[in-house]
Amino acid sequence: MTDPEIDSIFFSALRIRLVELRIIQLYPSDRIQSPVHLSIGQEAVAAGACAALRPNDLVFGSYRSHAFYLAKGGNLRQMFAELYGKATGCCGGKAGSMHLAAPEVGFMGASAIVASTIPHAVGAALAARRRDTDQITVAVFGDGATEEGVYHESLNFAALHHLPVLFLCENNGLAVHSRIDARQAYDIVDHAETYGIATRVCAQGNDPRAVYETIADAVRLVRDDGRPCLVVCDTYRQMEHVGIGDDHHVGYRSPSAADAWRRTDPLLLDAARVARFTPDILREIDDAVAFAESSPWPGAEHLLADVA
Amino acid sequence: MGLAYQLDRTADVRPAEIVTYRDALLRTMQGALASNPDAVLLGQGVDDHKGIFGSTLGLAEEFGAARVLDTPLAEEGLTGIAVGAALNGLYPIQTHIRADFALLAMNQIVNLAAKYRYMFGGRFEVPMMIRMIVGRSWGQGAQHSQSLQSLFAHVPGLAVIMPSTAESILATYPWLIANHRGPVLCLEHRLLYDVAFRVDQQPDAERTPALGSRRLRGGKDVTVVATSIMVLEAMRAAEHLAASGAADVEVIDLHSPSHPDVALILGSVAKTGRLIVADTSWQAYGVGAEICRLVCERDPALLRAPVRTLGMAPAPCPTAKTLEDLYYPNLRRLTDEIARLVTGRAEHGVALPEDASMADVYKRFKGPF
Repeated sequence: MTDPEIDSIFFSALRIRLVELRIIQLYPSDRIQSPVHLSIGQEAVAAGACAALRPNDLVFGSYRSHAFYLAKGGNLRQMFAELYGKATGCCGGKAGSMHLAAPEVGFMGASAIVASTIPHAVGAALAARRRDTDQITVAVFGDGATEEGVYHESLNFAALHHLPVLFLCENNGLAVHSRIDARQAYDIVDHAETYGIATRVCAQGNDPRAVYETIADAVRLVRDDGRPCLVVCDTYRQMEHVGIGDDHHVGYRSPSAADAWRRTDPLLLDAARVARFTPDILREIDDAVAFAESSPWPGAEHLLADVA
Repeated sequence: MGLAYQLDRTADVRPAEIVTYRDALLRTMQGALASNPDAVLLGQGVDDHKGIFGSTLGLAEEFGAARVLDTPLAEEGLTGIAVGAALNGLYPIQTHIRADFALLAMNQIVNLAAKYRYMFGGRFEVPMMIRMIVGRSWGQGAQHSQSLQSLFAHVPGLAVIMPSTAESILATYPWLIANHRGPVLCLEHRLLYDVAFRVDQQPDAERTPALGSRRLRGGKDVTVVATSIMVLEAMRAAEHLAASGAADVEVIDLHSPSHPDVALILGSVAKTGRLIVADTSWQAYGVGAEICRLVCERDPALLRAPVRTLGMAPAPCPTAKTLEDLYYPNLRRLTDEIARLVTGRAEHGVALPEDASMADVYKRFKGPF
């Protein structure tokens, strides 16, 4: 990788973190009336993955999707406006934090129902194959989603029909407050391989460069061979499941785990890049927040618009 | 030739043909695949020798396995795959050989497909069709017989239709596939598949609105709003009562539980002052309740008598024929209800038709499905 490429991915990851730190700052004001599932600690997965994709490749997300919305190229002003519930938001204020979407850059929406967009990526890949669009599609989900039946159904169909889908698991080891060893009798990678699906693992999921290299390799496989691939990125959710708090004191996980991940977090360690990029990002965030604050609320005419 | 029903079109001199419900479905599926290269058919058994009771027969051979896909047993996954395919430019048509299996896909139908357009502020559309077949008789039992229209029509964002005739299929399916930009759920009735209907050579989408209702028979004494196979029972009851001069019955085919034609129903009730709703499902929170709400909220003074509703007995469907015959509304009960309502007396003295079991009437229908 060249230095400008590394800079670009680092910038993308840092921008996600600074956006979410601003959300934490703003949240007590109650101007963001939407449950937020923060990606702090996991930004590198989105930044590294989206850097390996083309603009017309499609990403399908979960409720924890601020990072993928931004990394895929979603507009920051429209994101803050959406969090504020304003008419200028990316979804006109009807989506909030959990349902961001930016189809113009291939971010195909986010769902609050765990695992529910995984088959969408498979179906979109079926369409890409049929319409010969040369797209690949990406299903982004957490380790908990692999416990849902529809995940199995999606892997099976994608493998059976050799569809160009990248299954991207952000393995933070937690489903809300439940640890993975209390939930899974299988290994996510071994399980996918029983379908004949190729797998890749990135153990250092907080390193944008490591993620990029793993996913770029997987993307080549999916695009060139037209077959699905599963990538598991081990990562760490620094914040509580939903909300802006740090809940390491409540007992379901150890503060030392958080420290271990922080000790290798490039967004904390690479002071030179942080110093170089932060001012521009903060200016952009200030502008986006001002845009959201000054934007109009959606009016009554929007209540029944776009139902069917 | 089976039963042939001529719809109310006395002035129609155009040549008509006889088409079964099954053949109407097959024609619309063939037409959808032929006219739109992005249309695909997905379902368990769509390519087999039975072809979804004949409604997809030959299509895999004609259009290939890439467009007529036999699927794994994965109802939720397949509906999700259909949603994703629709988001990326295909028009998926998914089939369930029994509506009961669609319950496995309720998450995708209700949480995703129904909401994708609204939840994202109009940024997405999911044009797709889910066909599901409502079973009845010959021992279908509790899990092969459910008619789930009120569950679906309850949810904003879903278009729900229940075709009652071959003509309603030929007039509405092609229009919906070509023009409706959201999920369409079609509840098809298994007992109707073999019924032959007299159909105009050119079914008219304007006269049979794709999402709306249609008056099939004019009458002055009572309005019967019916769904699916109960439309045919209502027509038979109307003919029986007209023959004896006991009642002049107006019949409205509701067709779309999600998009009822409120003006048509109110106009009819304004004329007749009496309303019966005959549905294929349970009454609680059902189609009858909804039609009564629509009338009572707008103008209860139109009603000269209390409304009546017919539906299945409030129990899971029993398998034994003796119980099943009691379980479903039938021609005799419907005729009795109409006579009671029109005369205002339980002892109305109107002769009732002999047929107690629809399964006996639709004799061409044989098991095992």
